[in-house]
Amino acid sequence: MRPERESRPDGDHHGGHRSPELEELLSSVARGDRTAFERVYALVAARVYGLVLRVVRDRAHSEEVTQEVLVEVWRSAARYDPERGSALAWVMTIAHRRAIDRVRSAQASTDRENRAARLDVRRPFDEVAESVQGRLESERLRRCLEGLTSLQRESVTFAYYGGYSYREVAELLTVPLPTVKTRMRDGLIRLRDCLGVER
Amino acid sequence: MNATTGGHDPHTLAGAYALDAIDDELERRRFEEHLDRCAECAQEIRGLTETAARMGQAAAVEPPAWLKDRVMAEIGQVRQLPPALTRTSASRRGRTGRSRWWPRVTAVVAAVATAAAVTVGVLAIQARDQLEQVRQVNRDLTAVIAAPDARTITAPAAQGGAGTGTVIVSRSQDRLVFLAAGLAPLPQNQTYQLWQIAPGQIRSAGLLRPDTGGHTAPVVTAPDPGATQMGLTVEPAGGSTRPSTQPLLLLNMPAT
Repeated sequence: MRPERESRPDGDHHGGHRSPELEELLSSVARGDRTAFERVYALVAARVYGLVLRVVRDRAHSEEVTQEVLVEVWRSAARYDPERGSALAWVMTIAHRRAIDRVRSAQASTDRENRAARLDVRRPFDEVAESVQGRLESERLRRCLEGLTSLQRESVTFAYYGGYSYREVAELLTVPLPTVKTRMRDGLIRLRDCLGVER
Repeated sequence: MNATTGGHDPHTLAGAYALDAIDDELERRRFEEHLDRCAECAQEIRGLTETAARMGQAAAVEPPAWLKDRVMAEIGQVRQLPPALTRTSASRRGRTGRSRWWPRVTAVVAAVATAAAVTVGVLAIQARDQLEQVRQVNRDLTAVIAAPDARTITAPAAQGGAGTGTVIVSRSQDRLVFLAAGLAPLPQNQTYQLWQIAPGQIRSAGLLRPDTGGHTAPVVTAPDPGATQMGLTVEPAGGSTRPSTQPLLLLNMPAT
């Protein structure tokens, strides 16, 4: 009965990860429907802003990046392809990449302050756990992150929330490059299985 | 073991790729090419990307309410992309081919465009090789000013503001130069930002930091097609994607 691309039964009743609504809205947005875009905004803005803020850390910059991301969603809605993944993952991927671009360009312009702020991300996992307390979705993520080895967890969270490249992570954790690559991959795989992410 | 990939199994990059942790453009492109040939890998990336996105959602924070107004205002000025080319959708249906990995391309193109626009104005001060930059700007500057079709417009700041702006345009050089003098110093959390204004489109032409005498370094850039005015606004440090205050200076671009 379930549409083929619907979420798993044990999955997404609270998070709407596979949100058919969002996918439909995006196809309306692709035709220039501003009302549909307002609903998209309502569904994704807090997630986009929260992620960007976590990576970029500066409030004013995060607001700008969030604006860029949402405008990009409007601009390229027609390019969203459901076969490639959920609509929300598409939006979050744009958000993460924009946030990373911002962090890396700040780095390139030798913005030392910003660099120092990023290096302060000693315990991204704890911070996440703290800031997302009480949310079911976050509880599950927290539990799943706890199931990783510490090297897997640090590799994955430093990269994702800290915005570090795998080379930087290797340097920070003083482990060889191939090890970091491997830990990022098997860490994410374990996380995927624990979260019950649809494949 | 594998000579073409420097002894590393490309598959191991899947995690780093899904986490956007490959900062070497060439390495990422190679991996994407590999994904185009390896259906299994593309499938894995999909799951891992989805997983990374879950990590992102767990960090949700409500943005300030005014952000929505800004976004809604901006989309009114942004042309939407058409759907991907038929070639891409055909290859997508076949699950093979050389379709690019979403949404890297558009995001990067847009990011580069934005970064380029923002960078132009600050290059002269921030670039690693300052002297070479200054020389280059001077060469460009000279080329514009010496062009036979160079036209100059100068205007004072709007009422209540301090400063004078000058724009010199040469259509034959496809360049414009912007200079300002007498600008008031700004607090740390604010910056001057220059804009090129065309009907229905406003683009940043960079952030400006006046010296103690209120002079800015000259901005040399290409005129936007259709741009009719240049504006200078005061924005929060780091700049804005759209002007958020009334322009302090507004200059009509000299007609050709």
